[in-house]
Amino acid sequence: MMRHYLTWENLIIATLFIGLQVGIWAVYADPQIGTETTPTTSTALVFEPAEPKLETGEKIPLSLHGASGDIVWHSLKGKIEGRGDQVYYLAPAAPGKDTITVTDATGNTATLTIEVSGFLDLQIHNVLFLLFVGFVGGLVSGFIGSGGAFVLTPAMMSMGVPGIVAVASNICHKFPKALVGAMKRAKYGQVDVKLGIIMGISAEIGVLYGAHIQEMIKTRMGDAGSNLYVSVVFVVVLAIVGGYVLRDALKIYRSGNMAEQEEVTKLARWVQSIHIPGTMMYFNSLKARVSVLITIPLGFATGMLAATIAVGGFIGVPSMIYVLGAPSLMASASELVIAFVMGLGGSIKFAWSGFVDIRLAMIILAGSLFGIQLGAIGTTYVKPYMVKLVMGIIMVLVLLSRALMVPIYLSTLGYIDKIDTGIASVVSNISFSMLVGALLTGAIIVLYALWSGWRAHAVEEQAAEVAAMRTSFSLPESTIASQGVFDRMLVASDTSEFSAGALRQAINLAQQDINQLYVMSVLVSNPEYESLVPQLLQNEKQPLLAHLDQVKVQAQQAGVSCEALLRYGTTPYEELVAEAEKSRMSVIVMGRRGKSGVMRTMMGSSTAKVIGFSPVNVLVVPRAAPTISGQPIVVGVDGSRYSERAAAVAKQIAQFLNNAPVVVVSVVYAQHDAARREEANQAVQQTVDSFQAEDIKAEGIVVEGRAAEALVGEATRRNADLIVVGTHGRTGLERVLVGSVSERIIGLASCSVLVVKT
Amino acid sequence: MGDAKTRALTKTFILGGASALLYLILWLLSEHIMAYSQQGKWFFIIPIAIAFVFSAVHGAFTGYFWDVLGVKAKSVKK
Repeated sequence: MMRHYLTWENLIIATLFIGLQVGIWAVYADPQIGTETTPTTSTALVFEPAEPKLETGEKIPLSLHGASGDIVWHSLKGKIEGRGDQVYYLAPAAPGKDTITVTDATGNTATLTIEVSGFLDLQIHNVLFLLFVGFVGGLVSGFIGSGGAFVLTPAMMSMGVPGIVAVASNICHKFPKALVGAMKRAKYGQVDVKLGIIMGISAEIGVLYGAHIQEMIKTRMGDAGSNLYVSVVFVVVLAIVGGYVLRDALKIYRSGNMAEQEEVTKLARWVQSIHIPGTMMYFNSLKARVSVLITIPLGFATGMLAATIAVGGFIGVPSMIYVLGAPSLMASASELVIAFVMGLGGSIKFAWSGFVDIRLAMIILAGSLFGIQLGAIGTTYVKPYMVKLVMGIIMVLVLLSRALMVPIYLSTLGYIDKIDTGIASVVSNISFSMLVGALLTGAIIVLYALWSGWRAHAVEEQAAEVAAMRTSFSLPESTIASQGVFDRMLVASDTSEFSAGALRQAINLAQQDINQLYVMSVLVSNPEYESLVPQLLQNEKQPLLAHLDQVKVQAQQAGVSCEALLRYGTTPYEELVAEAEKSRMSVIVMGRRGKSGVMRTMMGSSTAKVIGFSPVNVLVVPRAAPTISGQPIVVGVDGSRYSERAAAVAKQIAQFLNNAPVVVVSVVYAQHDAARREEANQAVQQTVDSFQAEDIKAEGIVVEGRAAEALVGEATRRNADLIVVGTHGRTGLERVLVGSVSERIIGLASCSVLVVKT
Repeated sequence: MGDAKTRALTKTFILGGASALLYLILWLLSEHIMAYSQQGKWFFIIPIAIAFVFSAVHGAFTGYFWDVLGVKAKSVKK
């Protein structure tokens, strides 16, 4: 496994990566932040107060005496507010020494050293705000690979955190966040680690160079110049790249082919066709070899942008998609690797200079890790063009936000007429709100995409599950119908107590011979219900599945193999009857509801319907019915063909139960005449004879009374454990109503009743 | 199935607890940590190490957190 990774290519990448980190320490071991050029001092300039001491984040007025003309104030760590010889100084979040440098129109300069003690006082609302922005930023980063940082830095600065500490703390939360996000998305197979590291290394060099340019501009043109540079870069880059990305996303959306494989651009195909010997490297995400001489400038530009506007991904992701030919999802996931490499390097750089406020970084991280996990999960539900859409929209909104600020900076630098401070402040607030709005818009789209994708997926899964639920037992349809009465038993089972007796009886019967059971439960549902409230259906399904598992265990413990089936259906009896017919069952075994009085004489409506519609015999087992062992079997006869069929089945059962004794019962009413009684006697005698011919012990009896009561009474007197009766066919009205006698028998009997279908 | 859910819940609680503990320690020791890390130079290791440790523990916790809440990645059936 290890050998697989020990290639020359990987070794070079690792060496470059480590070398770069070491290089950063070496460069920053002597931080330019700490080195201050000795000013050409002039005693003419005097500060008041002369030796100020203050806490982190504190604001004090500063005056300068003896200056002539315009004065340029510069603070190394803190912030200067205002112009002229009276300004406000805002102490940095970090304690330590800060240096203020002033230069007047005649070139006189002076420096003031300020002692800043204490820590940035974190208020609870600050913490909550950072957690929230961290979460939203994380959500967007998890989805498009970067973003969030452009809001976090100004957000922290608005709390009084000095710019450099805000940037440092932001970047220090960024690399662990990117690490977690990259690992999460690697699980979904979206990350090209090699491409990420290669681009990351060149991006890190880009960051260092970008930061150097920033510092140069700041030294030459001050804060406003630096801000102007940042804004112009923002506007130009975002206008070109953002506009292109958004146009592409909208084009895909309008074409309606959102689900189709993304097309590799002509540019990417050309790039992939360039062969520069000695520089070619294979990348999984591109499924092609590309020269590193092409990835290096792309990574460098990503780093430059990251150093300038804190979001390198705005170049990194589109360049991987459009220039190299990577799929959107892989590009945004690999950007997280770039962000990690860049972020780690940047964090080391800033931490070496002591600018990282780890508390701020970790508070943001607390929120952003929740967000990045969610954003990463979101990518598994969306179509690839969504990455482009979210990125494009954010980029364009950020562009507008920064474009608003350009005139303000131009005016500060004196390139255009001075803009009123009030207006400038309003514009600045609008611009910041737009930044926050851009991030929130991105987050809302991501959440919506996640939600709708998740719902669509849940409905799909549900449909697949429902389709699976419509399956039958493993018996092939062509199976020859069974011969014995209990050869193939279909037990209707639910979680109620009423089906427990049926299961017990079926297991007992299966143990006698075939050792096989088929158990079925039906979950009442309909297609609309399934799609609207899948969760509810799921909740109802769980107990049934658990019940079926329990049934299997119970059967297996009794040495009976059991196949269980859970079906969805609008009407349970239809499902049961259909399955019995399809799988050519020999008998349906089910329970009976009702215990006493009126209830006792009425069967459960499902039971009645199953008997009415079933093509096969139905064994109805009351909850506390005795085990069927043939002690004895009572069969009701009335001379009809239905009762002849019942007698024939009773004979089979008697043989099945090792020649169990049979009592043949016929019932006559008190008002019946002698001829009718004689008919009954003959019917009984014929049946008894047919039993005896098969060596089955049988006796016949004609009792007087109401049919059902008399038959059940006889069965009770003889402690019978099974009553066998015939019933009508399955046509017309009879199909709906079980013969009233059979219905009453089932309702009254405390033993099992087998209803024989003709 | 129930067991797997219980195990996931237990892991979530343990990682959540560990994460909360880390934040508590950071809060209690913040003065010392800040004092050292702001000296810069080789003390850069302090914030970097903290970031790595927090990302491992809190990252694992947040992963389980969404999982336990039922927010999972789309399952691809093969």
